Amino acid sequence: MVVDKLKQFKCYVGINSLEEIASGDDKVLVMNILGNESRKVTPVSHVYSGGNVVAGVQYGRPGVMKTEIGEIPVYSRLADAVKVHDFNTGVIYLPPSAVYHAVAELIHYNKKLEKIVLVTEKLSVKDQTAIRAIAQANSIDVFGANSLGVADAWNHVRIGGGLGGDRPDELLIKGSIAIHSNSGNFSTTITEYMKTQGFGTTTVVSSGKDTIIQYPVAEFLYAAQNDPRTRAVVLYIEPGGFYEKIALDMIENGEMQFDKPIIACITGHWKARLTRAVGHAGALAGSNDDAASKEKWFDDYFGVQGFDPEKPQRVGKRGVHVNSIQHIPMALKSVFDKLGLETDFEPMGDLELKPWFANDFDLDLPDELKIPVVKAMSPYDKEIAYVNKQLGAVYLRQNMRNASGASTMNVKTQVGELHGKGVTELSKYTYEENIYFTLSKMRPDKKDLPLINFILNYLSSVPMQYFDLVKQAEKNGATPNETLMVPLALIGDNDEFKSARKFIQKILSVYVELNIRDLSKKIDWSKKEKDIRNVFKFEKGKSKVTGFLYSELKSESKKSNTSQLVLYLIDNFKVENSDIFILSGFIFQLYFQSLIKKKITKDTLENVFSYFSIVAKTVILSTIKIDENKFIHDIIDRKSPELMHTSFTETAFRAVFNTEPEDTELKEFSTLLGITLTNGPGTISAKGAKESVSARNNISTAFIGFLTNTGLAHGGNGFEGIEYMLKAFKNIDIENPGIKSADIDIEEIANLASKKFANDKKEAKSKGVGYKRIPGINHPVFKGKPVNIDPRESFIYNEFEKSGINNIFWDFYRQLVKSLHKQKVTKNVYCVNIDAVIAAITLKLLWKMYKSGKVNEMEMQKIGFNLFLFGRTAGIAAEIDDHRNRGTDMDCRTPASQTRFVV
Amino acid sequence: MRITGMRYGSSILKLAGFPIPEVLNSNATFEEIEKLLDKRGKLVVKPVFYGGVGKKGKAGLVKIVNSVNGAMEAKRKLFFAEHNFHNEKVIANGITFEEFIPSDYEVYFNLNVSTITRRVNFTLSIDGGVDIEELPPDRIVEGSFDVLTGLKNYHIIDALAKLKAPQEMVSALLRHLPKLWELYNDYGFTMIELNPIRMERVGKRLNAIACDFKGMLDIDNPLADRLNLPAEIFETNLSEFEIEVNQLRTYQGQSDVAVINPKGTITSFMFGGGANSAATEILSDKTTISSDFGGNPPYEKMYHIARIVYDYWLEQSNVLLIIGGKANNTDIFITFKAMFDALRDYFAKHGKKDIYVVAGRGGPNLIQGFSYAKDILESLEIPYRFFGFDSSMIEVIQYAVNIDNWMIAEK
Repeated sequence: MVVDKLKQFKCYVGINSLEEIASGDDKVLVMNILGNESRKVTPVSHVYSGGNVVAGVQYGRPGVMKTEIGEIPVYSRLADAVKVHDFNTGVIYLPPSAVYHAVAELIHYNKKLEKIVLVTEKLSVKDQTAIRAIAQANSIDVFGANSLGVADAWNHVRIGGGLGGDRPDELLIKGSIAIHSNSGNFSTTITEYMKTQGFGTTTVVSSGKDTIIQYPVAEFLYAAQNDPRTRAVVLYIEPGGFYEKIALDMIENGEMQFDKPIIACITGHWKARLTRAVGHAGALAGSNDDAASKEKWFDDYFGVQGFDPEKPQRVGKRGVHVNSIQHIPMALKSVFDKLGLETDFEPMGDLELKPWFANDFDLDLPDELKIPVVKAMSPYDKEIAYVNKQLGAVYLRQNMRNASGASTMNVKTQVGELHGKGVTELSKYTYEENIYFTLSKMRPDKKDLPLINFILNYLSSVPMQYFDLVKQAEKNGATPNETLMVPLALIGDNDEFKSARKFIQKILSVYVELNIRDLSKKIDWSKKEKDIRNVFKFEKGKSKVTGFLYSELKSESKKSNTSQLVLYLIDNFKVENSDIFILSGFIFQLYFQSLIKKKITKDTLENVFSYFSIVAKTVILSTIKIDENKFIHDIIDRKSPELMHTSFTETAFRAVFNTEPEDTELKEFSTLLGITLTNGPGTISAKGAKESVSARNNISTAFIGFLTNTGLAHGGNGFEGIEYMLKAFKNIDIENPGIKSADIDIEEIANLASKKFANDKKEAKSKGVGYKRIPGINHPVFKGKPVNIDPRESFIYNEFEKSGINNIFWDFYRQLVKSLHKQKVTKNVYCVNIDAVIAAITLKLLWKMYKSGKVNEMEMQKIGFNLFLFGRTAGIAAEIDDHRNRGTDMDCRTPASQTRFVV
Repeated sequence: MRITGMRYGSSILKLAGFPIPEVLNSNATFEEIEKLLDKRGKLVVKPVFYGGVGKKGKAGLVKIVNSVNGAMEAKRKLFFAEHNFHNEKVIANGITFEEFIPSDYEVYFNLNVSTITRRVNFTLSIDGGVDIEELPPDRIVEGSFDVLTGLKNYHIIDALAKLKAPQEMVSALLRHLPKLWELYNDYGFTMIELNPIRMERVGKRLNAIACDFKGMLDIDNPLADRLNLPAEIFETNLSEFEIEVNQLRTYQGQSDVAVINPKGTITSFMFGGGANSAATEILSDKTTISSDFGGNPPYEKMYHIARIVYDYWLEQSNVLLIIGGKANNTDIFITFKAMFDALRDYFAKHGKKDIYVVAGRGGPNLIQGFSYAKDILESLEIPYRFFGFDSSMIEVIQYAVNIDNWMIAEK
């Protein structure tokens, strides 16, 4: 259809009625059909339109595009396509520089071409004017550029871009309103809004908003007037250009007949402040074409001022302008009411605020802002229900070679942090609290501590033969880290770990299926038997349970519906590995909140059993002189439920010291373990574990990786401080280093040590040899001030002071740095660093055994190493777990390009 | 991208072979200035402004001097001259010394793309040297021409005939004005204006010499790069943030940003020109930036943009707003993943801060996108509310404003 309307319009117009813009008769060819955007959009358009794309062109890449209703042939050049296919519409998805060429190509090869849709953005003005000219000369209608295309709800046709996205049926609902929009996105957002007042659409045109709009308002109104389906039009207008003025002038001057109402949404007042375009290229006003000018054009035409939602009846029969797209439906309804017209259908939905997802955490928002989550419209509600079933955190896998999502070293404070908490803070908590924390990222509830201790003690049990291996290793000169490797390798990924994983997965499935999030809620599981049995395939009957595990389960079932579920199954079904099942249930109930809060992944939850087991067994396997330690034997034998509830901090203490700890000792002991939890992911011990995970080893092997990277230089070096203090206190009789005594002059001891150091240094210098530095003082960061303080040391010192805990070894260190300065050995007062803290606490804890001759210096060194391993093993669990969740296979390798050969 | 004045205008006009006066830059020596003075007995000193700054003459910022001392005095006064233009105070970036062209006539000529004709228009007047808006309509001729054939001599001679121009002007204007079309067409201009073209009498003939230049280049036209103009002349009004984001500008996916209020408390990712208009209007001075990131940006680009946005604006913000209608093309999962990965990385680097995230969006893979964002925010314990496309976009923006007001009141 070629109609010469040049006399009426300044530019060529072939479209007589909106019905023709996207009609069922249109046959479409898409240029760059296999490009990124078209690849997603064209198949949807093709299916929606009942197969209107006859062919595509992809330069140099012929083939086919698959769609749900068949393949679209793709040619390497247009010349080949036109030999086989007839089409009247071309769609161009090419990059900007190629668009004008493609327009020329379409016009050159296809004499039957009627329409072109330009989807491409950022087309130059030069090319736009050239396209106008060439289309003009060849009587072609052009839409765009920067258009999302055109669509027709009546014809069920979409051409060009993705109006309605991947669900065009959702938005293109048959009605009587035609839309011409400068914004592609708003062209369909407006259709969504219009439904709320009962309006659907006829034709939707995304005009684009480049400087040159190829199918502007005047041509659109002309076609709308001739479209019997269209009863009103909605225009979405931005500043810049005189397109609307031309249209209104043509109507007022009688050059064009138009008698249907218009709702003109004019936005962009703020753009008057800009001197360059933001958003649409053409939405930059020059003189007299800004938003205010455009409002005046329309107000003059309508004979009324802009729409006021407070006075909705104040509209003209010719329409009204609005400033916000949300007022379009109401304004449209008001104009229809004024004209005595009915809407297209009953209103669908509303524009009220409807949060689909929300979480205010601890924010106490006022009621008006605390809008509750509502069920989303279909089918989104089903999608949301599905994703809500996806419990737990999900991390993007990436190279974690020198990175960690668990630990970091705070550069400013030099405090290692685990899950955002500094080790100084973590040192205030018990060992069991920290073991729990390393995997849950939350502190445990106090009421859960007995259960945590129960599980740790229970799982710490190891076959006694393992100790034979440990002893053999010790005999062969193995260091504490080395002795642990063999039993850990034997633990492997054993059947208990595998069963526990499976049980936890199944319990989780029940909770997901039944959408249970609150563990304190009482549930009658007998009424859920069908759901449970879908997951657990146990036979009816009764399970065999070991000793006091059952009573522990009964007790826990009063607190948590997970234990109720486990109890119900144990009582009514034959559960194999029932012990593991019960423990898995306990772990589930302890860690479920972390999973709900997305703090941990499902993988972490499933493996807590393994981590607990390995950490607890590591402690027991480190027992000093196991044959003499009745307490640890009883723990291994799981002698009584009371014993299983022992604080695991105490268990660890007794494994090393074989005595019942005093409260202050326990506090010092847990502090020591807390501050050694981590020193950031850069430490070689952390790297050892991470590298093992990177090689896709099981969890126990990753712990071995950690152990292989500890040694006399890392972990075993804490003894230097102890050794130094033993020398300094060699001739001093100390009964209890926790009691300050008038007989012990710390200042004098420090002065002597300082003098000795000064002399040794002087002598060494005179001989031209190196001298041994004092361990535990000075720090590369905390230096340079007249008096320097390591904040970690002062934090713990103050904490101890508040608890009435004294330590004369620590006081000695504090005095020593002052003496060194006083005697001009150091230029300022050095800080006492964290190594000295560890040494002082360790020495104090060992003092009784040392004085009584129960341990020699070599054994003290081993114990010091063991204490480091206790703390760090707990911390490394977090590191291993983090790397398992975030890392990729082999991500710890060093690229060959970064390695070097040395001679 | 606008250019005004002869500092760069002279070299641009040289490309087309359009006659120009001799122009010296700020660093001209006394000797050079003296030599320029010797040519005509006087010279013109003008401040150089980057961008589209006009009306210098009206503001008294153009000085005609007849001595080296006078030239240096004018230089001193004009070098950092302040000028109020379009309600904005602009400061000069040096001066030019320009040859004074005596003339019998002054001509105005302009080429620009017209949204009325959708062709290139020309405007000609032989009463140049003044604001064109001040001239009566009968002293101006406007016309348009087919860009496939370009500006031809007959367009000019017909226009001059309408203006009843003296015959002696015709030849010089016919010889030179069509050259401006070549300049316009070959170097990516959307507007060129010469005002005045001074008609210098040389013997019995007149010569047309362009004495001032205004041009606008199309940012989307790569031909503009042929001019090799220094980038800083277009970046005068751009903040560092805008320059950094502009470096990511490609045809795939918008990346337009403008700083609205450097002290704003809401930072917004706006998707689509429509959302950009609506959100910027409602947020007004509350928003740090106005943006349009629509157009289905790929992950990498969106991630980098988000990273830059957070680096510049997150610290001061109470609310992070993500707003757009129901996207047709833009993949919500890809864009949300990019924005929230960048947010997670920002917090990992800088530590957590108290913000509230409000999102209103629709489009392909919406729930996947919301869900991804939700997971990250929950792991960071950052409060949020996400609205579907069935909530009014305007109300969602207003909700962000209300949250911001509440957070300010709570501080």
